[in-house]
Amino acid sequence: MKHVAMTLAAAAALAATPALADKKDGTVRFAYDQVLENIDPFFNNVRLGVMMTQHVWDTLIYRDPVTNEYKPYLATAWKWLDDRTLELELRQGIKFHNGEEFDADDVVYTLNYVSDPANKATAQQNISWIEKAEKVEKFKVRIRARRNFPAAIEYLASAIPIHPNEYYAKAGPKGMNEKPVGSGPFKVTEHVVGKIIRLERNADYWKGSPKSVPNVARVEIRMIPDRQTQVAEMLSGGLDLIMNVPVEQAQQLKAAPHLSVTSGGTMRIVFVLFNAGENAPNPALKDVRVRRAIAHAIDKETMAKQLVGEGVRVINSICFPAQFGCTDEGVPRYAYDPAKAKALLAEAGFANGIDLEFFGYRERQQTEAMVNYLRAVGVRANLKFMQYAAMRDQHRGNKVPASHQTWGSFNIMDTSASTSAYFKGIDDDMIKDPEIVALLQKGDTTVDPAVRKDAYKKALTLISERAYAVPLYALTTYYVLNKDLDFKAHADEMPRFWEMKWK
Amino acid sequence: MTMPVVLPAERAVPAAPSVLSRVLAHRGLTLGLVMVGGVVLIALLAPLLAPYDPYDQDLTRRLIPPVWHDKGSWLNPLGTDNLGRDYLSRVLYGARISLLIGASVMVISGAIGATLGLVAGYFGGRVDMVASLIITTRLAMPVVLVALAVVATIGGSLTIVILTLGFLKWDRFAVVMRSATQQVRSLDYVTAAEAAGASRLRVLVGEILPNVVPHLIVVATVEAGSAILLEAALSFLGLGVQPPLPSWGLMIAEAKTFMFFSFWLIAIPGAALALLVLGINLVGDGLRDVFAPDGRS
Repeated sequence: MKHVAMTLAAAAALAATPALADKKDGTVRFAYDQVLENIDPFFNNVRLGVMMTQHVWDTLIYRDPVTNEYKPYLATAWKWLDDRTLELELRQGIKFHNGEEFDADDVVYTLNYVSDPANKATAQQNISWIEKAEKVEKFKVRIRARRNFPAAIEYLASAIPIHPNEYYAKAGPKGMNEKPVGSGPFKVTEHVVGKIIRLERNADYWKGSPKSVPNVARVEIRMIPDRQTQVAEMLSGGLDLIMNVPVEQAQQLKAAPHLSVTSGGTMRIVFVLFNAGENAPNPALKDVRVRRAIAHAIDKETMAKQLVGEGVRVINSICFPAQFGCTDEGVPRYAYDPAKAKALLAEAGFANGIDLEFFGYRERQQTEAMVNYLRAVGVRANLKFMQYAAMRDQHRGNKVPASHQTWGSFNIMDTSASTSAYFKGIDDDMIKDPEIVALLQKGDTTVDPAVRKDAYKKALTLISERAYAVPLYALTTYYVLNKDLDFKAHADEMPRFWEMKWK
Repeated sequence: MTMPVVLPAERAVPAAPSVLSRVLAHRGLTLGLVMVGGVVLIALLAPLLAPYDPYDQDLTRRLIPPVWHDKGSWLNPLGTDNLGRDYLSRVLYGARISLLIGASVMVISGAIGATLGLVAGYFGGRVDMVASLIITTRLAMPVVLVALAVVATIGGSLTIVILTLGFLKWDRFAVVMRSATQQVRSLDYVTAAEAAGASRLRVLVGEILPNVVPHLIVVATVEAGSAILLEAALSFLGLGVQPPLPSWGLMIAEAKTFMFFSFWLIAIPGAALALLVLGINLVGDGLRDVFAPDGRS
């Protein structure tokens, strides 16, 4: 332990000077391990993108992270005219970072542009429910849904920010990526794709916003895929905040005098996803016994306790338990039972095991633990580890037989944002089981809450029965931060830079 | 790199007994042989020596320090890794992968390089021109970069790493064999064999090859060491051997995350790798001294 103490002491000595300089100019330096392909919120589906949505842009409605209440935001009031038409009154006097005034045209243009499939937005499940948006008056719009869509408010409050129409018409998603313009509490001053995003406080941010005007003047977000580099930078004072730190490292970093550690549960569910579609890249996975064998092979309780850490929640269906419609009641479970896994494989005709390409993109330690569990029952998993965007494209290209997936649902508290994203026949659904697709469709587009719940429950039961995926747990995330930084972890895995300040 | 590319005309291959005594008299060579021999023994006897299955994970016993540490115990003499696998067992089994790679790459690249060098050196003229062009082309390509590109495109696995390195690392064999053959082909016994009507193949295999073999052996040892290091580098970058295989390079890569707090995870496979490559290089240097002492610079 002497070595650790020495390392930490050295690091602390190094840290003293830069930390002081930073407090004066108010920069918070944050690092994230996943690369953001496009900062335009509609053209990525990674967590850093979700963070940027809330910092650089505003949404029509705001959901309070503590009470989960919906509050006025860019829209001051809203009401359903009928099951499919939502009318919203818009706030006046809001300006985008480039000076453009916010009005109905911005809402109409943004929603109509991104919901047009021809424009190929990445996260279709967030916007494909929109049929069209219409201007009623300068500050009044109507949004019409393709079908009944009871979760619309939740989506508008989480994943659908508004772009300035004139700028977006000219720049498009590409220009928006190079020079992002929103109306949120921070302006982007520099974006080098895959490297750095620099934010500056939007001093003109409207005072009554449920997000406050930021205390810190600047935020520097560096994309550092290598965890060890992040840790070294934390120790030497080159960074102020990192997240998703493996539990054992977080505990060790606690010993550094200038750092503190905090953790929080998240909505991010972790699961193994199989490609058992008609043209499955690994035909063995078309056999439900093979998929069930894999489900029996993984000891998720032990993984959760040993690799994820305190506050972890084991899940038994492919959704986050607090989401509307999510349940594991009556959903079949697969207990850890390697002997049964082997027996199932033998029954399926694979007594000598199978070879399987197994993909992963974050929490590599957990992916490797799964690879070892699989190996123990005769599934020779060959690990393919890559960035999320690369894995997603290969998955959508029908090249991924099985993968270690994690999904944060864009913080949307509705099962339509989790289960449906993977099993409703869109985007990431390579199985397209017609029964499940129909049930999820029903759940997503029925107004009656009881009918919705029932449809989701049936879908979740079928997914588990047919073992299309193995639900594992909802992650706990560990944050390591400079102890002079005032930071509060929220349950939605999103650091809010506008709340932070230096002590 | 000082490589004996000139074979002194007056020196024939030394007789066997004197080679043995020279080997034993050469301290570096003896030490190298002991080191390499030790690793070979470990690799062969890994199943007997290893206390556990190197793939068995126990997530409840993660990151246990080695026995000399306050918190270590004899249960896991070298501790456990981040997934609770016994580190000693993994290091022992890792010797197999390193040696397998070293030997396979040596054989593949040796076969390609030696053939090309022999043919170029013996026939000369246009054949030599073409062969030299191929060798120069190959020399112009940076091995690591090409290997990275190939492995990144096709995907990493033990077989692919062996084949990629095997097809890339024959250049030194070819260069050395070409000049050695050029020296030997004009010697009297070759001319005599030709005059006696021996076929070209017979002259090449029966007369020339045995007389250039010492050079081949020296190059082969050096190349084996370098292949082992390259595999470790590729695996370290995530493009070589894939988990959960216990490759030393991969173990170093995975231990990188724990560098600050569990340094032994990186130090142990690192030391094993260093010892093996040092041993191989000592053997290579020693053999050169024994076979071709005049080529020493």
